[in-house]
Amino acid sequence: MAPDEFDVGATELLETYDFLMKYIIIGEAGTGKSCLLHQFTHNAFKDHSQHTIGVEFSSRTVKLGEKRIKLQLWDTAGQERFRSVTRSYYRGAAGVILVYDITNRDSFLNMSRWLTDARALASPHLVAVLVGNKSDREEDREVEWAEASRWAAENDVHFLEASSLSGDNVEAPFLLAARSILLSIESGALDPEKAGSGVSYGDRALRRVTSSSHLSFGSLSGARKRRSGGFRLKNWVPSGKCC
Amino acid sequence: MSTQSPSPGPVSVQVQTRNPISLRLRKILGTNFTDQATTEALRTLSHLYGTNHPSDQPSPVTNSDTESDSESETLVDLTVDFSSETASRARKNLRRDLENTLAEGSRQFLQAFSEVDQKLDAIQAHVSAMRACCDDADAQLRLTAESSKSLLDRAGSLRQEREVVETRKSIVMLFLDRFTVTDEEAEAMTSRDVPVGKRFFSAMSKTERIRADCRVLMSGEDGPTKAGLDIMASTSSYLEQGYEKIYRYCSFEFRQMGRDVHLEVSPIMREAIRRLRQRPELLSEALTLLTTTRQTSLLSAFLAALTRGSGGGGRPIELHAHDPIRYVGDMLAWVHQAIAAECEFLEGLFGLGEGSADGDNGEGEFGVDGDEVRERQRRRMVGSVRTFGAGEEWVGELLNGAVEKLCVPLKVRVQQTVRSQESSIVSYKVANLLEYYTLTMRRTIGEGAVLCKTLDEITEVSYKVFFDAIEAQGRTLLRTSLDPDDPSVRPPLPILEHAQLLREIIQVYDSSLLRGDTNTAPAPANTAHTSPSAATPGPFTFKRILDALLDPALEMCLGAAEEKKRLRPRWDQAVFGVNCLTYLQSVLEPFNFTLDKQLEIQGVIDERVKLLTDEHYENILKDASLYDAIEACQTKNPSEPLARIPATQPAQLRSSLSKFSHWLSGLEVVHSPRLAQLTMYPATSIHQAALARLARAYGKLCEEVRRVGSGYEAGSTLLGSERPFGKIGLLFQIFGLEEDQGEDEDEEKVDEEEEDEEEEEEGDSEEEYEDDDEDDGKDQDGDDEGGEGDEDEDDGEEED
Ligand SMILES: Nc1nc2c(ncn2[C@@H]2O[C@H](COP(=O)(O)OP(=O)(O)O)[C@@H](O)[C@H]2O)c(=O)[nH]1
Ligand SMILES: [Mg+2]
Repeated sequence: MAPDEFDVGATELLETYDFLMKYIIIGEAGTGKSCLLHQFTHNAFKDHSQHTIGVEFSSRTVKLGEKRIKLQLWDTAGQERFRSVTRSYYRGAAGVILVYDITNRDSFLNMSRWLTDARALASPHLVAVLVGNKSDREEDREVEWAEASRWAAENDVHFLEASSLSGDNVEAPFLLAARSILLSIESGALDPEKAGSGVSYGDRALRRVTSSSHLSFGSLSGARKRRSGGFRLKNWVPSGKCC
Repeated sequence: MSTQSPSPGPVSVQVQTRNPISLRLRKILGTNFTDQATTEALRTLSHLYGTNHPSDQPSPVTNSDTESDSESETLVDLTVDFSSETASRARKNLRRDLENTLAEGSRQFLQAFSEVDQKLDAIQAHVSAMRACCDDADAQLRLTAESSKSLLDRAGSLRQEREVVETRKSIVMLFLDRFTVTDEEAEAMTSRDVPVGKRFFSAMSKTERIRADCRVLMSGEDGPTKAGLDIMASTSSYLEQGYEKIYRYCSFEFRQMGRDVHLEVSPIMREAIRRLRQRPELLSEALTLLTTTRQTSLLSAFLAALTRGSGGGGRPIELHAHDPIRYVGDMLAWVHQAIAAECEFLEGLFGLGEGSADGDNGEGEFGVDGDEVRERQRRRMVGSVRTFGAGEEWVGELLNGAVEKLCVPLKVRVQQTVRSQESSIVSYKVANLLEYYTLTMRRTIGEGAVLCKTLDEITEVSYKVFFDAIEAQGRTLLRTSLDPDDPSVRPPLPILEHAQLLREIIQVYDSSLLRGDTNTAPAPANTAHTSPSAATPGPFTFKRILDALLDPALEMCLGAAEEKKRLRPRWDQAVFGVNCLTYLQSVLEPFNFTLDKQLEIQGVIDERVKLLTDEHYENILKDASLYDAIEACQTKNPSEPLARIPATQPAQLRSSLSKFSHWLSGLEVVHSPRLAQLTMYPATSIHQAALARLARAYGKLCEEVRRVGSGYEAGSTLLGSERPFGKIGLLFQIFGLEEDQGEDEDEEKVDEEEEDEEEEEEGDSEEEYEDDDEDDGKDQDGDDEGGEGDEDEDDGEEED
């Protein structure tokens, strides 16, 4: 009986996650947001990408060190006419991926507007990552790396260039944002328990709480304490006993 | 020993000297007695007698041997040396002693042998006894051997039997193993103490397999066996208890899934659901429970997001109730996001997601470690169109159920917002937004979902509110009358305002959320369009909007103008009408999706312009003083000579032609002050059309005058006296028109024929008018410039 339970537990850990984070992906139409996301979630380039209508959802669980993080990804349409719709999805986003096209200067110049919008509406601890997409088209480059990097530094966002065509650097922005958010949690600045933080605990984190300190939860122990944990814990304990 | 013999020399030397017999002795002594046999005999002898000297008898007997003559003498000699007494006794009694000894010996032998004989007899007796025993034993052995043979046979057969039994036993064991449920397994399935988990599931799997195997066996020729039936009966009970247990487990877990918007599915839960699908009634019962919990929790989460702001950003959605677009948008976005999370949860519950094994592979996901792979496959755009599979139906239904309770509060709020809208633009935007979300939700949770029906309804309501608003606006416009004291022929203020509304609505539509959709995603959008319950979106609706907005405007422009005309006859209704129409048309022009309406309006404009052109033609005929003459020419009886008609009597005609000639050099030839009032429609085109018609009419008149039966004495002279000298080509030149600008085909044909003739006639005289023409040309240029100037002035006025 005991080994069985252990086995189940092991599988369990593979499936569940420690944190759930909400990201929005914004930027001008045609900069390759949908392709970037598709590459991230499907490991393939999205041929014949149609314009996104409004908002589309996808998700993926990533591993960051010990922790498994489920990312809820909201891909938005870049066109002006969808702004009123897409803005509603900014609420409570923990991370924003700002995408511009390195071969289109205008798409970069508009970044300020996008960032301002996101900062105004999303989580107060919003972590932003600027992504210069289409880095495979070096010959058509209109935005220098250095310039974008400077802008990013000035605006307190992470920056990197990527190519959703070749897959270069595609995972990095998502992981970068996740790491920043985790750090915020560890430092106590961000509380996943709070509404609108864009982050919440997963079952896996809760299991660690119940199975007490022998599982390494790292320095996150301070944050998890605050979880009142009533019903979720109940949820877990009886599964060993009931039925 | 022989080497030592010479050593006792002194003794023998003495003997030689004393006795003659010594010679003989010497001889005897010279005989060697040292051989083995002799020594032995001597020793025996010595023993015989030596028995009197028990301890101190000296051993070196041999030393004396060398001096004795005979055997006995020597012996005596020797014995004498040591014990003369014994030796002498020996000499005397040797024979007797020997014989005695011998006899004694023999006696002893005899005695010994008789003992031996006795013993042998005893042995003999023993041996025969033994023989008897042996015979006995032998007989017995033979007997035993005979009897044990059958035993051995039996043992052999028993052994064989045992082997058979052994094999049978292992078969039975295998069978049992395969066809019976162990106590442990039974416990796993039935006991409340064993949690739903790996052990439980493998017991279930085994039981299922047993039943499957058993069914196969029983389907054989022999038909169902008793054992088979027993197995089926017992396993069935276990299985049902197992399913009951899964059901209880699920029900328990589901009851817990209350509070969170984001839920996770444990592999155990997924496996439980996968198995419970074998018992749909239990599954659906459990899922009903889940739906209830989810409904309640989603509803309270929604209400919390509305009023307390748990939805994100910390601020309640209702905080923006004053901003309808944002308010409605935020509510719907919240619902959409909740659906996405719920959908992920449910798909996880049913192990769905593209490519993931749909379950029915025996052990399911347990023990398999391809989680990462599966997880990747499971990712799917929720927004993308889906095909409903077996599990998808459940998911669809559950999703529908989970969000069902959101419909009422959503509907109430949206309707409140929509109904309280003053601005029709905002209503239109809200309706658009709702329509967009209707399509999005249809793709996400399926067309039949309650939420979609609700969205359809509120979309319809908001469109109705919008249409009511613009129709009311249209009616108001129709009721508006024009200010009779206003001499202006420009579009009046109500029309301008209305056009502004039109413009804004067109712009909303142009940038609407749906336009892109209808263009890019054909299939779902189209089916949406054909859905009768929906407030049909897309171009059809927009046509309705255009009708609702434009038709009253058109009617007003024309109808109210009619009214004003009655009150103020000198007011130029025709120009006013064209101005209004072209203005409205100009609002539509940039948008090619309004093409149908544009064509419709263009039809009305063309009609109005034609009337205006007719009027204008008549006006310039009158101004040019040709009206009566041309009227007479056109209406007269063909047989009646033109010269007889009062209006065209030669003197009258001459006067008219003279006035006409005068008119030709006036400003009005190239510029009509009346048409200058047209704000958008090109005045020149109307004016030129009228001029061309005038030219052709003049041509006809000339033709008639020249005709032989016309009654004029010198028709050509009459015509040639004043410009344009009866030459239609010249007239066209003066008007700055191409000659072939005909109005209708009949006239054109006639004209062409005439022109041909005329050209021939004109041939020689052409140079004559060249000079005059130059002046005319200059005039024309000047007039043209003047005309342009007027147009500029018009523009200026418009700005005022
Ligand atoms: N060369 C190149 N083209 C890309 C890349 N990412 C996207 N594209 C192309 O850019 C276009 C717009 O992509 P899409 O993802 O629809 O842009 P979105 O409007 O931001 O979602 C598509 O034609 C893609 O094929 C990239 O990394 N390299
Ligand atoms: Mg896109």
